[in-house]
Amino acid sequence: MARAKIKRGSTSVDMTPMCDVAFLLLTFFILAAQFKPAEAVEVNPPSSVSNKVAPEKDYLNVTISKDNKVYLMMDPKIKGDVLDELGKERNMSFSAQDKKNFENSDFIGVPFSQLKQFIALKPEQVKGMDLPGIPVDSTNNELKAWISAAINAQMGEQLNFLIKGDDAVKYPTFKAVIDAFKANDQYKYNLVTNSKAVPEGSELYKKNMMEHAAGKKQ
Amino acid sequence: MAEMEVKQSSKKGPGVKKGKKLSTRVDLTPMVDLGFLLITFFIFTTTVSQPTAMNLNMPKDTKDPNLDMKVKNSGSLTLMLGKGNVIYYYFGDDPTKMQTTGYKAVRQIILDKKKSTPAADLFIIIKPDKDATYKNAVDILDEMDINDIGKYAMVDPTPDEYSLIQKTEQAGGVK
Repeated sequence: MARAKIKRGSTSVDMTPMCDVAFLLLTFFILAAQFKPAEAVEVNPPSSVSNKVAPEKDYLNVTISKDNKVYLMMDPKIKGDVLDELGKERNMSFSAQDKKNFENSDFIGVPFSQLKQFIALKPEQVKGMDLPGIPVDSTNNELKAWISAAINAQMGEQLNFLIKGDDAVKYPTFKAVIDAFKANDQYKYNLVTNSKAVPEGSELYKKNMMEHAAGKKQ
Repeated sequence: MAEMEVKQSSKKGPGVKKGKKLSTRVDLTPMVDLGFLLITFFIFTTTVSQPTAMNLNMPKDTKDPNLDMKVKNSGSLTLMLGKGNVIYYYFGDDPTKMQTTGYKAVRQIILDKKKSTPAADLFIIIKPDKDATYKNAVDILDEMDINDIGKYAMVDPTPDEYSLIQKTEQAGGVK
């Protein structure tokens, strides 16, 4: 009886399709990744064990740079309304051109008196400029007006207040920012930080482990 | 790898010399390796770079002293954040008994206090002075999270406490 001969096939596998897939995925991830927009103000935030992701919608971001200057960024979709509200509050008039400029600007880093000239500048021009920042002194707290304008522009909807400070920021500046929020009856903030692992063996670590174990049992 | 076998199995008669036909197939395994390595790298870096946010809730300022929260002396620990990453701490309400520590060692102090006090009485008061940095404040708030402290407050130091800190700093030569 003729036995069927088992053909010894080559063990080599054609890697071409796999290579194709790998690079297709690679291309996809690179293109789909959201590039961090070049940050207007360079800030190196401290780290915390918090694992909550910073909200990216409906935000008002107060950034404090390492030389204790305060800058303001906000959700692009409320920008137009914020400027309207600000005009009403401070009796300032803004032309259509001003409004357009404002919507195109990345951030605000000057007092009201220089606002119009500042927003007319292109982002390239702003880079490297020595900006005075938004005044937050107790005598002239312009940040307060900005916050109230943003709250009004949002019309009762939830607005996330992000505070992003540099490691080297002095505490009084941070307190001045908090005071500006408090003056507007806002008491909940999100401090933007880098994430850091929970130290092993600490109370929070144990708590997390217990929650984890409880979650498994259910 | 296995491509070698293919070459070896090509039949050539003895003594027949032919121009060697080299296989045009390239082993793509290393390229695939590289591809996946890059994918892994990109996936990891994109998720890690997301900034996190720490919640901070501040109390409403009240002018009425009757509304101020009463803290039991036995359960309070006051941490004053000073210049040069130094913490001054005292138990109860006597600032003159304050001691000095750093950001690493403070965890043990908090934990010891937590163990020795009933949970309902424990209250930590954080007083960052004018020379403390934002990082100091965030670090100490983080420490509250790490040690699972339920009740704490962040207030300004009293002028007495501030002058005491300054005296200590001068004596210790902290600039």
